Amino acid sequence: MYRKQVRRRRAVLALLIIGSFVLLTVTYGQSSGSVQGGVSAVFSPLQTVADRALKPARDLVGWFDKTFAARGENSKLTEELASARKQAVAGQEALSENAQLRKLVELDRNPPLAESAYKPVAGRVIGRSPTVWNSTVTLDIGSGDGVQVDDPVISGDGLVGRVASTQGGSSQVTLITDHESAVSAKVLPNGVQGVIRPNVGDPEDLILDFIDSTRHVHGGQAVVTSGWRAQGLASLFPPGLPIGEVTNASIVEQEASQQVHLRPYADIANLDLVQVLTGHKR
Amino acid sequence: MIVTPKIFARLAIVAILAVLLQLSFFSRVELLHTSADILPVVVVSLGLLGGSMTGAVAGFSIGFLVDCLLVAPLGGSSLVLLGVGYLAGLFRERFDIHSALVPPLICMGATLLAELGFAIVQVMLGVDAPVSALVVRDMALKSIYAFFWTWPIYFGLRRLLRPALVVESQRIVRRRRPTVLGARRV
Repeated sequence: MYRKQVRRRRAVLALLIIGSFVLLTVTYGQSSGSVQGGVSAVFSPLQTVADRALKPARDLVGWFDKTFAARGENSKLTEELASARKQAVAGQEALSENAQLRKLVELDRNPPLAESAYKPVAGRVIGRSPTVWNSTVTLDIGSGDGVQVDDPVISGDGLVGRVASTQGGSSQVTLITDHESAVSAKVLPNGVQGVIRPNVGDPEDLILDFIDSTRHVHGGQAVVTSGWRAQGLASLFPPGLPIGEVTNASIVEQEASQQVHLRPYADIANLDLVQVLTGHKR
Repeated sequence: MIVTPKIFARLAIVAILAVLLQLSFFSRVELLHTSADILPVVVVSLGLLGGSMTGAVAGFSIGFLVDCLLVAPLGGSSLVLLGVGYLAGLFRERFDIHSALVPPLICMGATLLAELGFAIVQVMLGVDAPVSALVVRDMALKSIYAFFWTWPIYFGLRRLLRPALVVESQRIVRRRRPTVLGARRV
């Protein structure tokens, strides 16, 4: 009797392990299977309800976490504010000059290249992956709202990621901190180009890789999407979307590894409301 | 564990609730830049209460549901969670749990094992970006959080599944005072 039980237990275990490997083999590399789509469609209303119900509790825990973090950031922000004021004055001058120049070259009459070609659809984050290996979030908007695979996703601060799969009322977004993410970007104002890649496990750190090592980048410079277009191919992201600010730009690393580190503008860890830029023809 | 239809329904509700709570709450709340992962805790608790089969099947089901909802490659989370669930169940079948500290410590170790498992599965599938050393901190903190979350989860589940637990029903029988006909209560 006992042996029979042990044999049955081992058989079920073997079946489950083989089942897992078969599922991995069959579904690896596919964006969304019909099973996943179905399950996701059934559970997304439940996730929305759970998200709404748990928001006060999330905010409470977030308040404690942010209070601890804010103590350390206070002095750093005071210094940054002083330098930002100087930059703002310079920026206003540059803005007025830019407006004059745009009129001069009649850019305003041409169809805009950037965000206005897209139709932004606002969505709420209703789920997030539990491990650092898959950096994805689930939104409460999907193909029924016009969301398509590969649509860019932004928050109020900057680029967040791109849509990986959609269902009728929900969609999954691969964040820029996911190991599969790669975004072509350029540094302002000197225009050094590279590819933004994540540093898996550290959502506060991104790497601008494959930069031109002869043109140096400095700390504090802004990085935006480059939005390239060549030979019928185009970047998934429109040009000019803010991504982050260069934090660590050692000359040695630039020359040896052709990379610099940056901090994303978007608060990737605490995303709540985002916009999906839909309606762009590819 | 004696799995009746009623207990099966309770187990299914526990699995769904755990996944929804994980994705909607625990994954989105960070303390010291790390969020808690209660899914290994739930799976290990079920393994400790119900044995290796319950642990393995619960781990597989919960992993499958998570992968479905996140539209990740199916099978990765199932493989890891069924492993930790089975090991927890084996522990329960071979050893007695004499101290209330044992389940939290086992959950802590199993969560670390599960996080390592997730990392191994991901490396197996391919990682296209550099990996930060902070991954180690993330794993360590997750297992510490698991220690504390085990108290409500393990003891809550034990209460919920009490009618199905073989050991618990034996304990209840043992605690009952023997009835002696004609004896006078002192």
